[in-house]
Amino acid sequence: MKKVKLQVCNGTTCFVMGGADMQNMVDQLMVKFKDCLEIERVRCLNACSLSDNFAKAPYANIDGQLVGNANFQTITKIIEEKLSND
Amino acid sequence: MFIDVGCYQLKKYNQNAFGDDFVSKREKSGKILAVLSDGLGSGIKANILSTMTSTMLLKFMQRDVPIREAAEIMMNSLPICQVRKISYATFSGVDVDAEGQVRVVEEGNPSFVWIKDNQLQEPEFSQISSPSFPDRHLNIYEFKALLGDRLIFCSDGVTQAGMGEKDYPLGWTRENMIEFVLKTVQNEPSIASADLAKKIVERALKCEKNEQAQDDISCAVMFFRQPRKALVFTGPPYEKQKDAEYSRQLAMFNGKKAICGGTTANLVSRELKKTVITEANANMGTLPPVSYMEGIDLVTEGILTLTRALEYLEQGRLKVSDAAGVLVDFLLSSDQIEFMVGAMLNQAHYDPALPIEIEIRRNIIKKMQKVLENKYYKSVTIHYV
Ligand code: FES
Repeated sequence: MKKVKLQVCNGTTCFVMGGADMQNMVDQLMVKFKDCLEIERVRCLNACSLSDNFAKAPYANIDGQLVGNANFQTITKIIEEKLSND
Repeated sequence: MFIDVGCYQLKKYNQNAFGDDFVSKREKSGKILAVLSDGLGSGIKANILSTMTSTMLLKFMQRDVPIREAAEIMMNSLPICQVRKISYATFSGVDVDAEGQVRVVEEGNPSFVWIKDNQLQEPEFSQISSPSFPDRHLNIYEFKALLGDRLIFCSDGVTQAGMGEKDYPLGWTRENMIEFVLKTVQNEPSIASADLAKKIVERALKCEKNEQAQDDISCAVMFFRQPRKALVFTGPPYEKQKDAEYSRQLAMFNGKKAICGGTTANLVSRELKKTVITEANANMGTLPPVSYMEGIDLVTEGILTLTRALEYLEQGRLKVSDAAGVLVDFLLSSDQIEFMVGAMLNQAHYDPALPIEIEIRRNIIKKMQKVLENKYYKSVTIHYV
């Protein structure tokens, strides 16, 4: 079974910019993808401090791909793509 | 030797101000000064009398004014009650230096209790009386306290609790309080001063009819013990080359260790080659959750958590279960706290697009030092790295 690894940023910037709702998102994702998804919470992914990227927080990292404006929709879409990719 | 100071107070039932006042100050020299004062009556009037008395006495002690002179000035300057035509506030003042040399002056309060090796001590004292108030006597004690000793001060609200009730015709009494303290200390030899003070006051309240305090009930405890040390590393060091050095300092620290800050946690993790783990379903409330790292007692997010922890400390909210609450617990279970504060600014936090205002780390830590010293009697040092 293919498995996707998701890292959700819990750093200060991401948290303030919407990461506080991540708990909900994580819960929903776990229900939706069950065993196909491994979720990890991490500290600052260092994306927020890159010049203009600030406004795209909160960030997540999906199998090594940095994703801005992370929310349930954006993340679901990418995970589905990755899962159906082969 | 560290002197752990703790106090717990209850107001008289239905009053909106404390009639007793307790103040304590840790001097740079390592000396500790403390005063417990009980104002005549209760409520605001008593509050003013006791606060004036304790504040004045503390100032006098700080300046080494001879106690007799200090007491005269205080008794002369208190406002006079319109009803009873007297002005009055009893007090106990104590002054302890870093070697454990203790000096106590008492006027009107129940005599303090000194416990050593779980036994009551009976220190000698001398008495002087006031030239202008002949019925007021000051008891003066001088002795040396050693590691493990405890001193307990209380207002008569403790010893007279329940007075007149069937089971306590004379109130709870000092003897019963001593017995209670000995038993408590025997069961919990390392009980912190704040906890012991709270237990004494709560036990006294049980003697009162319907458990409603008929007087202000206050208790202050001093415990001479080996200091419990803690180090909090927060914020990345100004010079990146020093990351390794400070991480090592943290790892080698002899005491409890905490990291407050994601970037800081990441750099320590990199230098010490230890991973940081956050549980995916950790309970977080409105703060990023607590994480774990081998060899470190606590890892939290930085600015938001520190800001919230400061709020809890200032408001006395000590039983919250989010990350800030855990941090508060960590701080309060230590005596000597050292903050290692990285001076590098996290630019992202100061971006005008951020929807909330984030305070500069340094300010928060400075405020935290203040509240930890003044309200929780901790000894705090800060150094910037
Ligand atoms: S806080 Fe999420 S990338 Fe920096």
